[in-house]
Amino acid sequence: MIAAMPDYQAAVDDFVTRLRRRQVEGSLITAKLTAELLRQVVSHQRLPNVGQAAVLIDVVKSVGLRMIAANPIAIAAANRSALRAPSLHNLLESIPDPVKTPEAPAASVGDSDSKSRSGDRNSVSWKLKHNVIEGITELLQDLDDYHTHVAEQALEHIHQNEVILTLGRSRSLLKFLLEAKKKRSFQVVVAEGAPRYQGHTLAKELAEKGLQTTVITDSAVFAMISRVNMVIIGAHAVMANGGVLAPVGMHMVALAARRHAVPFVVLAGVHKLCPQYPHKPYTLLNDMKSPAEVVEFGELSECFAAGTGDHTTYVVNPTFDYIPPDLVSIFITDTGGHNPSYVYRLIAEYYSPEDYFLQ
Amino acid sequence: MYRPSSLLSNPPNQDFSLRGGSDEDNLDNSLEAERRYFKLRPGFATSDQTMELCNPYHEDRNVSQDERDFNPSSVTFEWLRQAESASLYGGSEDYTRPVLHHVRSWGREVVREKPFSVIHEFDAWRKNPELAEAVAAIKALTAVIKRSGASTMMGLEVELKEASDALKAWDESSISLSAGCDLFMRYVTRTSAIEYEDIEAGKARLIERGEKFGDISQKARRTIAELGKDFIVNGTTVLTHGYSRVVIALLKLAASEGKDFNVVCTEGRPDNTGAEMAKELVPAGIPVTLVLDAGVAYMMETIDMVLVGADGVVESGGIINMLGTYQTALIARSLKKPVYVAAESYKFARLFPLDQRDMSPAPRHVDFLVPLPQTVRVENSARDYTPPQYLTLLFTDLGILTPSAVSDELIQLYL
Repeated sequence: MIAAMPDYQAAVDDFVTRLRRRQVEGSLITAKLTAELLRQVVSHQRLPNVGQAAVLIDVVKSVGLRMIAANPIAIAAANRSALRAPSLHNLLESIPDPVKTPEAPAASVGDSDSKSRSGDRNSVSWKLKHNVIEGITELLQDLDDYHTHVAEQALEHIHQNEVILTLGRSRSLLKFLLEAKKKRSFQVVVAEGAPRYQGHTLAKELAEKGLQTTVITDSAVFAMISRVNMVIIGAHAVMANGGVLAPVGMHMVALAARRHAVPFVVLAGVHKLCPQYPHKPYTLLNDMKSPAEVVEFGELSECFAAGTGDHTTYVVNPTFDYIPPDLVSIFITDTGGHNPSYVYRLIAEYYSPEDYFLQ
Repeated sequence: MYRPSSLLSNPPNQDFSLRGGSDEDNLDNSLEAERRYFKLRPGFATSDQTMELCNPYHEDRNVSQDERDFNPSSVTFEWLRQAESASLYGGSEDYTRPVLHHVRSWGREVVREKPFSVIHEFDAWRKNPELAEAVAAIKALTAVIKRSGASTMMGLEVELKEASDALKAWDESSISLSAGCDLFMRYVTRTSAIEYEDIEAGKARLIERGEKFGDISQKARRTIAELGKDFIVNGTTVLTHGYSRVVIALLKLAASEGKDFNVVCTEGRPDNTGAEMAKELVPAGIPVTLVLDAGVAYMMETIDMVLVGADGVVESGGIINMLGTYQTALIARSLKKPVYVAAESYKFARLFPLDQRDMSPAPRHVDFLVPLPQTVRVENSARDYTPPQYLTLLFTDLGILTPSAVSDELIQLYL
């Protein structure tokens, strides 16, 4: 195992600490920073003559595991895409292979490919690293363009005089709505999204641009839903079965929308795809934040009898909600609109099966 | 390997062509037992020439052409015989000559034994309780390759096709059997397209692959258990229907990790699958509750998830499994419980049933314990088809799949 080079080790440590302290927030930012960090790691890594791909994959995996340990949710979502050793696997496949072994259910194509590369010469070794870095740069560019590609599709989905409902705030949603505003006139109802109340920020931004906006409380969503033409939200992550991780409160909106047959549109970039299946989504893939955001400690201090250790009150403050795939009508990604049942295809395109479980 | 006893248990209308040998000295010892068995049958001559008349295969020739056309199993072997004679004698209609040819070649070459040995080979492998039917079939086909005298890959393919058809004809209702045969044939076709220097290298490769397949069956169950065990958490109640070794492996693995869950098994008439499952699960420390098949809806509110195996996974992403799986899935859907299926990849079949009757029938005798009036009809299908919209996820050795992903995987398997 090649020892980690000190030049990027400090950067990795710094990033991991920031993740642990939740100083890095938002899937796009996290994805970008991870990709840049990995580019650094790959470019500084010395590769031996033999078994280079395996070494690269090992290094990327070890860095990735550290990051996941720091903040599983942000990483599970955004950085899977950056930790895409499939970019490595795909590049390996593009290098000509003299013997194409027939596809067999038991054989792992990736492993056999990397073993056959063990006899590569120096020029090819430089090429491999170069290709990987190129791949990561392309990925970074995709991340930058993501909002534009999604917003381009806005005119197809939002029509004249429609009422759109949303909850909380999403940057991609903001750009999406502003793009549609250029040609159509419509109104937006924003649920405030307790306890962070980011809906207020979104409403202000929309109002500044001249869109007619209404702010409602989360509890009013069900009352408003029958007056609404479409619900559009931004996802934090999309799981392999088509389920969505979104800010807390979205599941309720999705259920209300299903009840009144209102289309539930989710904006998600390809970098939000996560190859995992949610076996216990409500707790495992959730970040429990401080209860102080919900209720002041002073108000309930009698209920927390620290001396006896008896708790009569629990305050739960989850960050995310899981929306099952049958509640989603369509995913709008930078590659177009897709059905939730199509997500497995997107995952298969961007990930190779060896990457589903990093351990 | 050759078991005369298994012959005795075969129903009369299924015949296996037995070429009665006349050249005693050259017979395999094990085959002698068969020959002697037939020698002892009353009413048949024992002289060399008429020895052939003893065997049921030969009796076929006294059956009228219409009957032969009607009876599927005799048509199969008739076809085989004609195919052989056609290939050997350039389309000769002389039925006696192929028989003599077999007699001549009885000695060391067991080539003509193909249909006979495949079924017996399969039977032998099937006796092993750990092996699934599809795997036993593939092992039998591997044995066919080992004994093959073909000198080209195409010839080998033809022999394998015959053997595969014989196996499928033996049990037309088994989906995993025909899926396993099809998969192996696909693999052979793909491999034979590659130029090998000599037939031996090609055969060696196929044999190696076929032998590895037995391990795949075990490995597949382990992989599926690893993938699925995370879905069982402390306090889960799992409902299962039918007897599936994969499901047992999954539950045992979850229990061995110290998870606290309990299992509800349906009684599973008429096969008593519930009792069989209970016998497997209780030693692993898993609390088991048995309920009548009719009690699934009653129990469903206490259930957290449904976990079943599959006889076959079809192209739509639906499954074919023991009778009662469909209604369990319907109830689970209605009460919003997830339905998980654990199935190995060799159960993926190129079938697309449009309704419940769109599959080859698999009747099973049901004992109602009371005498029934004469005119009462009994609907005794052993299995049903569960459409994909009632399934949540499939755990396979290819990974966890949503039902919509199954057809993609099928294409990759078969292409």
